[in-house]
Amino acid sequence: MEQTQNHEVIVTDKVTKIFDPDGIPVNALNGIDLTITSGEFTAIVGPSGSGKTTFLNIISGLDTPTEGKVWLSGKIISEMNGNELSDFRRDNIGFIFQAYNLIPVLTVEENVEYIMLLAGVSKAERHERVKKMLKAVGLEGVEDRLPTQLSGGQQQRVAIARAMVSEPTIILADEPTANLDSKTGNDLLEMMRRLNDETGMTFIFSTHDPMVMDRARRLITLRDGQVDTDETK
Amino acid sequence: MFFILFKLAWRNLLRNKRRTIIASIAIGIGLAALIFVDALMIGMTQNMIKTATASFLGDAQIHRKGYQDEQELSLTIQELDKVTAKLAKEAIVHYFTRRTFSLGMITSPANVSAVNLIGVQPSTERYLSQIDDAITKGVYFKDNDSRDIIIGTKLAENLEIGIEDRVVVTVAQSGSGELSQEGFRVSGIFHFVDEAMNSGMAFVRIKKAQQMFAIGDNVHEIAIKFTSTAYTQERELPFWKTYSQYGNEVLSWAEILPQLKIILDMSKYSKYIMGVVLFGVVIFGIINTLFMSLYERMFEFGVLRAVGTRPVGMARIILFEAGTLAIVSIAIGSIIGFGITALFAHLGLNYTGIEMMGVTIQEYIFPVLNIQQFILYPAAVFLFTIIAGLYPAWHVAKMTPVDAMRRSF
Ligand SMILES: Nc1ncnc2c1ncn2[C@@H]1O[C@H](COP(=O)(O)OP(=O)(O)OP(=O)(O)O)[C@@H](O)[C@H]1O
Ligand SMILES: [Mg+2]
Repeated sequence: MEQTQNHEVIVTDKVTKIFDPDGIPVNALNGIDLTITSGEFTAIVGPSGSGKTTFLNIISGLDTPTEGKVWLSGKIISEMNGNELSDFRRDNIGFIFQAYNLIPVLTVEENVEYIMLLAGVSKAERHERVKKMLKAVGLEGVEDRLPTQLSGGQQQRVAIARAMVSEPTIILADEPTANLDSKTGNDLLEMMRRLNDETGMTFIFSTHDPMVMDRARRLITLRDGQVDTDETK
Repeated sequence: MFFILFKLAWRNLLRNKRRTIIASIAIGIGLAALIFVDALMIGMTQNMIKTATASFLGDAQIHRKGYQDEQELSLTIQELDKVTAKLAKEAIVHYFTRRTFSLGMITSPANVSAVNLIGVQPSTERYLSQIDDAITKGVYFKDNDSRDIIIGTKLAENLEIGIEDRVVVTVAQSGSGELSQEGFRVSGIFHFVDEAMNSGMAFVRIKKAQQMFAIGDNVHEIAIKFTSTAYTQERELPFWKTYSQYGNEVLSWAEILPQLKIILDMSKYSKYIMGVVLFGVVIFGIINTLFMSLYERMFEFGVLRAVGTRPVGMARIILFEAGTLAIVSIAIGSIIGFGITALFAHLGLNYTGIEMMGVTIQEYIFPVLNIQQFILYPAAVFLFTIIAGLYPAWHVAKMTPVDAMRRSF
């Protein structure tokens, strides 16, 4: 993916999220205005409970804001319905979660090709792309293994392969390295950064890990559901 | 896409083999029970129809209209010659025999008893009833002796008589009502499972009976055996009209024994009741199994949903799992059902002597297997399973990805 000119990928306008599970409202997000540009490699940091996960969930359409708007690739996703949102996520967003990313009963290849199956990509092309993507994350030859037969770091790499295989607009990762030892976590981040360089795909991830923060090109700090600092290196 | 759904379903079921096996055996046993009960019902129906028709009734009977209700001696079949000539040429009629009846009194030196005296044609009667087969002492009708009488074991016991002993039978004649008496010699004693037949029936040659009743060459009944029992159900056959002329009427066994017909019809409902019970088993078995495995995999569902599976796609995953479980259960149930039914179809079930609605079961009941049992009931199980799967499927479909992922921890 060649990126000649950078453009706005995500724009949030006064995004507020109030959780009210048992009558006690919790303001998880308090009016967040942010713009993410294509090709960014951005870390969202902040203390526990500051709203990182909530923010990622809302900009990816997994959750809806209580107030405010979210544009992703020029579309207001905060107003889409179930099917639209599902298809939009499938085509535009790659997810990497902290752990248990993969469906344990599906092989590595099946896990990676699942989204393409949903999108109706032909078998030959699926196979081709899975192979290419596994090579890019350094996992050739594990196509037929089950996730349980891989190490934690390998599983996260498969998750990256799955997230990137359909060439989405943006990759979102909520603490992708939290379950890995620091060496493996570092390697994973290194790889994500390389892929960001090579493909120009936009990466946003949350983290607690100072080493991981160092690798980010933009660092957004949240505190009490608000943007505290926003620095581009 | 369907292939991956099937793979997901199958491998998820294998994930907890014990639970899957328990659920599918439970459903399978339900299916097997349904197959067995159906086979048993068919066997019992055939048995009862056979018992009712083969021992004396025949597949159909011709009488004068009104005879069935009044049992009046003078109500003999009209245009008998025409009727019998036609019957002889009827393609669906295998055998027919004439009979005549009257209530009377039978006397031995020791005792006296009421009896239903029946005049029969020995040569054709043997094809219509089982009197010849039921003879336990003596013989059916000997040569040409018009004084032969055949009675049941119970009657012989009451009268304290045996083979070759003499009895006197008294009946009232048609028209005049005068008493007519004849002496007979017991040539055979029969025994049916039905005690009423053993104590209340006596058979003599038809010529003799006609003389005693003073009805000339007339008869009260023609009993008919078809080439196939199935004709009794085919009401559109011209046969039923043809012989309901000249003031006569022809009735099938189902009309002669309406109680039997009712019980046989009722047995159909027991199938539906079984079906409802099975439905309950399936509903609870499936819903429980699906929900258990569903809650274990919440996070996975969250991931599947997050990466772009539509709500309906999520429901489809659950329904595929329900369907796969159904197929496994059907395989197990069909094998168990076939095995048990085939075993009893071979051994038979001993219900002899049990009386149901006036028919005494005289032979072992053999369950009857047929292909329908292995199409209809499995299809029903599959359908039930899918219906049962709708609830968990709907539950998963309406879940939001964040909910699903949060709920798993
Ligand atoms: N479903 C929910 N119901 C109620 N409160 C919630 C819910 N989800 C999050 N919160 C609250 O919202 C606030 C922000 O939570 P969030 O998970 O976004 O924080 P975070 O920055 O990701 O924290 P961590 O670093 O621990 O992952 C917290 O106070 C949390 O308790
Ligand atoms: Mg978090």
